[in-house]
Amino acid sequence: MAGREAPEASSAAAVAAHPYGERQAVDAARGDAEPGWLVDRRVEGARAFAATAMPTPALRPWRYTDVSSLAIEDHVPHPPALTVRAELPEGAYAGTIADALASRGEVVRSHLGSLVASTEGRFVAANAARWNAGVLVHLPRGSAVERPIVVELSGPEVAEGASAALLPRILVVAEERSEATVVLRLRSGDAPLLVPSVAEVVCGDHAVVRLLLDGGWGARTREFTTLRARLARGATVDVATVAIGGRIVKQTLESLIEGEGAHSDFRGVALGDHDQHFDFVTLQDHLGPRTTSNVEIKAALAGASRSIYYGVTRVEETAAGAAAEQENRNLLLSRRAKADSDPVLEILTSEVIRCGHGAAVGPVDRDALFYLQSRGLDERTALKLLVAGFFEPVARRIPLEGLPEELAATVHAKLEAADLS
Amino acid sequence: MSERAAESPILDVRGLKVSIAGPPELQIVRGVDLAVRAGEVHALMGPNGSGKSTLASAIAGSPAYLVDEGQVLLHGEDVTALAADERARRGLFLSFQYPTAIPGVTMVNLLRASLKARRGTEPSAREFLAELRETLATLKMDESFARRYVNDGFSGGEKKRAEILQLGMLKPTLAILDETDSGLDVDALRTVAEGVNALRSPEIGILIITHYERILNYVTPDFVHVLVDGRIVRSGDVSLAKRIEAEGYDPILRAIGEGATPVAAATGGE
Ligand SMILES: Nc1ncnc2c1ncn2[C@@H]1O[C@H](COP(=O)(O)OP(=O)(O)OP(=O)(O)O)[C@@H](O)[C@H]1O
Ligand SMILES: [Mg+2]
Repeated sequence: MAGREAPEASSAAAVAAHPYGERQAVDAARGDAEPGWLVDRRVEGARAFAATAMPTPALRPWRYTDVSSLAIEDHVPHPPALTVRAELPEGAYAGTIADALASRGEVVRSHLGSLVASTEGRFVAANAARWNAGVLVHLPRGSAVERPIVVELSGPEVAEGASAALLPRILVVAEERSEATVVLRLRSGDAPLLVPSVAEVVCGDHAVVRLLLDGGWGARTREFTTLRARLARGATVDVATVAIGGRIVKQTLESLIEGEGAHSDFRGVALGDHDQHFDFVTLQDHLGPRTTSNVEIKAALAGASRSIYYGVTRVEETAAGAAAEQENRNLLLSRRAKADSDPVLEILTSEVIRCGHGAAVGPVDRDALFYLQSRGLDERTALKLLVAGFFEPVARRIPLEGLPEELAATVHAKLEAADLS
Repeated sequence: MSERAAESPILDVRGLKVSIAGPPELQIVRGVDLAVRAGEVHALMGPNGSGKSTLASAIAGSPAYLVDEGQVLLHGEDVTALAADERARRGLFLSFQYPTAIPGVTMVNLLRASLKARRGTEPSAREFLAELRETLATLKMDESFARRYVNDGFSGGEKKRAEILQLGMLKPTLAILDETDSGLDVDALRTVAEGVNALRSPEIGILIITHYERILNYVTPDFVHVLVDGRIVRSGDVSLAKRIEAEGYDPILRAIGEGATPVAAATGGE
């Protein structure tokens, strides 16, 4: 404010001054004609937002991602472009939460916020108060969706005035023996964009849910996602994340593996350049007997990009016969790239079948590079092949047709201009 | 092809001295002169550790080695300062003694990318497949082989065949085969030898590094050289290989007064 003193703000005015306040949340919800119970949830979110502080690096999952200078309240929720395409069997639903409220209000009401409470943290609270890209996938008992459900979510192309926020809220409710694949195509333009995102996946007995987060964000997007799945007996969740775009991508991926014999799979690849910052936090919480899980995250880093992995495999006393694998590998493509990897095992039962974890950070294999160059490939082309190859085994295990080819093409395109020095 | 290129040897190694990039820096190749002309097959033999693979790697442009002195010329052009890929695109091919595994990259991916690099344009999918099938058939290799990751979990013999598959597809003008005959069963050896013979032509030069006279029964060399302690100490025709097979290297070592001096002890004085 040049040359003029800002007026003293009263505390009431201060509350009213940002979009995550109670009144703003209520006004927005009423404006969208949301039912009373949902307005109440948003108020709870706003209160949680006011009551929680930003996470600090003193908290282990935030050690390497310092958000102390980030003010969520400066980012105004911006209506997203959201489309959902699906071929659904009778009874199943895939679409916006707003549209679902009339016909399936009860499903939303009983599951929204059932896995991720608004009081968990500031990003989650902001989302609870003001989520504006709500997607519900509801699969009634026995419902199998054959073709992937494709959700396209795009942030604004240009910012006007204040920085924008996009607040996705994904809810998947898969009842007994249902099955579906959900692909989230996440896109944004070059303008600064904050994305506090929450996803909840509720899997009933023997349900199978596959979820792909395809992160094609613009260069100034900062994503903070909390995803949690809860698995009943014999259920399977397969979460795959492909982090290509964005300035910051921080994803907390958690599975509560409760039902006997349930299986959780997290696969991730990240390809960084410039000052991109990826931070993956995983939790595989084995609660039920004979539960299994797998985490495999691979990052290839050019420029001054950085990847952080902190993951916990916890096998509770009740999880006799559990088996878990956890692996994080990082390929440094330039001298300034950096990776931190910290896989942790917490085993509270003596009856574990197999529990493995591995971490690696290192440069490209010089012998492999020479081998490819000796076949006529210039260094950059050879590196493209090596990076695509580094991702290939993960990509191949992501159960989505065409993904390995799509990813290889993305790798080649991005590394064409990447800083590999 | 220029006048000069037409009459120059395909490979011309002049006074080459090569060290390991280190540390510690250690000179392994200690002054090698070797010219391979179009249509010729040369065999390079020598005791373990004498520097054969180092010489091959240096000719191919491996960044793991430093050229202290001398030049490598391909088709009359000094390529000593060029990267490995630039040499490969000028027609050089090295079949590695120990081919590197490249998990995640299939043989098909590798071959397509190599052909594209070598020819400047990507071969059409149909053209490529036809060529691949034909080469696989010549080498009596199963098609599933091409879908596997490069050298990943390959048996010793499979690795060597994979090298020959690439050789057959890339059709270089200078082929260096570093112990491609080692670790092959009799049938595979014959197949590989046939592959090499199929490549043999008046335009191509071939350098075969080997410990055995066996392969030379199939691919008769025009010249045989013996490398000891980083230097070529004998050159001759195929009878030299037969003599080594029968008598070992001892007579040669005694004649040059090297005894059983280890390489490492003899370096540094250059
Ligand atoms: N990168 C390296 N680091 C350390 N020593 C090396 C390196 N490369 C080669 N050497 C040494 O140089 C010497 C020559 O090795 P080279 O592989 O060229 O021998 P060779 O003649 O091919 O032997 P072989 O018949 O066993 O294949 C050996 O003593 C070897 O240990
Ligand atoms: Mg050797």
